[in-house]
Amino acid sequence: MTIDLQGLVQPDRVHKRVYTDPAIFELEMDRVFGQVWIYIGHESQVPKPGDYFTTRLGREPVMMVRHADGQVHVMFNRCPHKGAKLVPDGSGSAGKFLRCLYHGWTFKCDGSLLSVPLRSGYECTALDLKDPQYGVRKVARVATHRGFVFASLSADGPKLKEFLGGVATSLDNFCDRAPEGEVEVAGGVQRVIQRNNWKIFFENLHDTIHAVATHESSWRAAKEEHEAMPASTPKPFEVVIVDGNGEPLEFWEKLELKGYDHGHGFMEGIFVPPTDPVSLAYVASLEAAKGAKRAEEILRVNRHNTIVYPSCSPHTSFQQIRVIRPLSVDRTLVEIFSFRLKGAPEATFQRTLKYTNIVNSPSSNVMPDDLEAYNRVQEGLGSNGGDWVSMHRAAGRDQPLPGGRGSNGNSEMPSRNMFAAWAGYMGVDTGVKTNEHAGSAK
Amino acid sequence: MNFRDWNEQQDLTQFLHHEARLLDEHRWDEWQRLFTPDGLYWVPLVHGQTDHLNHASLFCEDALLRSMRARRLEQARAYSQQPPTRTVHVLGNIALESRDDVGCTVRSTFLLLEWRKTEQRTFGGSVLHTLRRAGDGWRIRTKRVDLLNCDAPHEALQVFM
Repeated sequence: MTIDLQGLVQPDRVHKRVYTDPAIFELEMDRVFGQVWIYIGHESQVPKPGDYFTTRLGREPVMMVRHADGQVHVMFNRCPHKGAKLVPDGSGSAGKFLRCLYHGWTFKCDGSLLSVPLRSGYECTALDLKDPQYGVRKVARVATHRGFVFASLSADGPKLKEFLGGVATSLDNFCDRAPEGEVEVAGGVQRVIQRNNWKIFFENLHDTIHAVATHESSWRAAKEEHEAMPASTPKPFEVVIVDGNGEPLEFWEKLELKGYDHGHGFMEGIFVPPTDPVSLAYVASLEAAKGAKRAEEILRVNRHNTIVYPSCSPHTSFQQIRVIRPLSVDRTLVEIFSFRLKGAPEATFQRTLKYTNIVNSPSSNVMPDDLEAYNRVQEGLGSNGGDWVSMHRAAGRDQPLPGGRGSNGNSEMPSRNMFAAWAGYMGVDTGVKTNEHAGSAK
Repeated sequence: MNFRDWNEQQDLTQFLHHEARLLDEHRWDEWQRLFTPDGLYWVPLVHGQTDHLNHASLFCEDALLRSMRARRLEQARAYSQQPPTRTVHVLGNIALESRDDVGCTVRSTFLLLEWRKTEQRTFGGSVLHTLRRAGDGWRIRTKRVDLLNCDAPHEALQVFM
């Protein structure tokens, strides 16, 4: 079946079918998720040899496994004998070897075949046990950046560093914020199911002007909470991270948005670095480790959501990574991983968890209205009430940057930037040969 | 541990039934007043979770966060409450776990049906109420809800369980 994609992406609007057509979703799995670097997990999730962590790479079930020599491999979670998933979904330790539950074929943790039962039965058959195809199949490419593991199903394409471009600095800052310069996943994984296309969530990550409208229930509740406290009570952290959504449009206008090739980008931080005892103790621990000057440089990089398109969104100042896994054209799984800054006081990590409990958890006091909005968009786009989705706001006003483009905080540049990359991957001619506003995805 | 007598069993059973009814009738203010000032409402994220400070949760709410949630649910523009979430709790297996000078701990099991918009969800599990005696009645120091499927991916969980 051929699907005509031409004309679906224009520089400032996209056709609704990109969000609703199951055939386009399948093509995305091949042409986007089957090609680009996808975030798999962090090395700290498999601390010891034999440890595994499973996830999805596009539509493929894969596992990240640490081998005896310390190297981390990403392989298909599939036994080459009969096809059974070798390890159960989730994370744990496989022991010294990966042993299939079905017939006991056993593999080293780098995937190579170690032993099969009844070896003599394969003599003089077409099955050559020395043939690498009887080891566990590896994904085409694996690379890490500061402990963050990415994989690609395609042998071709840019190297990870080149792919990440300008958002590599967000991953760097994520780690630099640790007094020991390293982070580790800790404290469990929250998982949220969204009833919407995955791209709707990505666009929302840098959609600054939805906050004051969509989150009115949250910011009003937080403001009322603060108003009910005795006069001159400092705003508690719990209130700050919720009522910030009620900032007027002029506030967001002043924030910087950056978009980079391949659809990535980041948004300037919306929270002023706090001065409460927990924050001050953390800053002191960073200064003690790195010196005041370097600590100041690190903390000056104040960012809200970063987009690593199309698989994750790190939040550098509260140490979260949200991992986005498309399940179907109208269903998306978001997994929220919290990170401990090695060498920081325990209370810093407890604040990271407080942030995720209040903002990212399924029981978030902010997100339900987002999920409602995404779902109403998904349902509305399924109607015949119109064909196009607008991305016109501040079109034509982007400022070129090396490897990307910048805009003010209320621009829909991030959506245009992501769709420029998407169109490039999908082979859609946007009808624009050179247009800085449409991006320059390679 | 056994209930001391029929009166004690009735007293605690009625308290739990009353608490569940306040939730099902969206009487958030009355429900919040059941807690001690330092009371904790906690729904762990994983089975056997022992720590609510160093591990993420599904809900981990003190008085401030319970109040903020209740206020949000009542806002005219809480779009995700159009229509509102409806629930019914069914309690069972109410048992006394321990008793001391200041109060007691009661374990119960529950089924919770939740309806909103398009789908009825079913939750179930056990609840551990750590109660403090307050005059003739009780106050909740901790309500810990262990969901059978705490470790599943969830859609939004908006109302108290």
